[in-house]
Amino acid sequence: MLARRSLGRLASQPAALGAAPANARNMATLREIELRLKSVRNIEKITKSMKMIASTKLSKAQRAMWAGKEYGLANSEVFQNAPPEAPPKKKLFIVVSSDKGLCGGIHSSVSKMTRRIFQGEHGEVDPSSPIMVIGDKSKAQLSRALPKNLAMTFNQIGRDIPTFADAAGVADLILKSGVEYDGISIVYNRFVTAISYEAAVIDVETEATLKESPGFKAYEMEDDVTKDLAEFALANAIYAALVESHACEQSARRNAMDNASKNASDMINRLQMQYNRGRQAAITNELVDIITGASAL
Amino acid sequence: MTKYRFNKYSQIAARALRNSLKEEQRVAAEKRGLTILRYQKWENGQGGPQVRSKSLLSSSPSLPITHCS
Repeated sequence: MLARRSLGRLASQPAALGAAPANARNMATLREIELRLKSVRNIEKITKSMKMIASTKLSKAQRAMWAGKEYGLANSEVFQNAPPEAPPKKKLFIVVSSDKGLCGGIHSSVSKMTRRIFQGEHGEVDPSSPIMVIGDKSKAQLSRALPKNLAMTFNQIGRDIPTFADAAGVADLILKSGVEYDGISIVYNRFVTAISYEAAVIDVETEATLKESPGFKAYEMEDDVTKDLAEFALANAIYAALVESHACEQSARRNAMDNASKNASDMINRLQMQYNRGRQAAITNELVDIITGASAL
Repeated sequence: MTKYRFNKYSQIAARALRNSLKEEQRVAAEKRGLTILRYQKWENGQGGPQVRSKSLLSSSPSLPITHCS
């Protein structure tokens, strides 16, 4: 009975003026850990659900990609049989990325490839070559690296699987823009496996280069038809690149969110251990105080 | 010299074809014609205003829709 009364007295005793309350340091740390634990748990839930969403989107995107790839291959067959006579001097670069983040290194992969090309690692490049970017993320990166070369940018593509209407719209705007070039290179992410991708380039010929090519001249096509073919081929190539990049983005997002969830759950385990140890230490300290106090009576 | 380039022409033709399909197929096909593209012209490192490109929705002005049965 005496011990219990002294317990109550001790617990209700106000702390000395200026001194921190008993177990203050431990409790403050405990509360911090608790808050952190709560926020990391929320993060883990979010990244896990993003991973689920990306995996379902990936299967759909992959099917669209295989279909679009065939289209792109059939399209480029014309150019394989009618290669340009002279390598094009001034190329237009179309960089394909997207507007959303949290997908690993997708955007920096194409931006870095474009910068490497401009530094001359893949053959000579006219330093005033125009660049057109699809996607806000690469636009931000390239507007810092090569601002003078940017001619036009596009966004709102890639929210869902890219449609041919998107590609045709982009091609139409490019052709109407009046930018001058002798050849076109599309920089995009090629799908290697479900966990890896790499930056690649598709070359497209313009109407002028196609007309001059000996393989094409043999057929004596009318100018109007050649122009239409070149324009349609550009839309096809853009479509193939868009759809493949979209699939790469979904797979990269899934992997990134998977890693994030793993890291988050590791962190949760570590924090939980820390919290438990801290809590037990606080309880032990309180017990020690009480017992020393009780034994002093 | 025609008013439209080939890609625009093909999208107009595609829209006409989609509008002529039976209701169920038309709804499925309309998704393939959807685009909310926006673009921005850049001059000397400065971006211009963002412009929504004119999309061809199924609200085609003149032609009546007749379904072949």
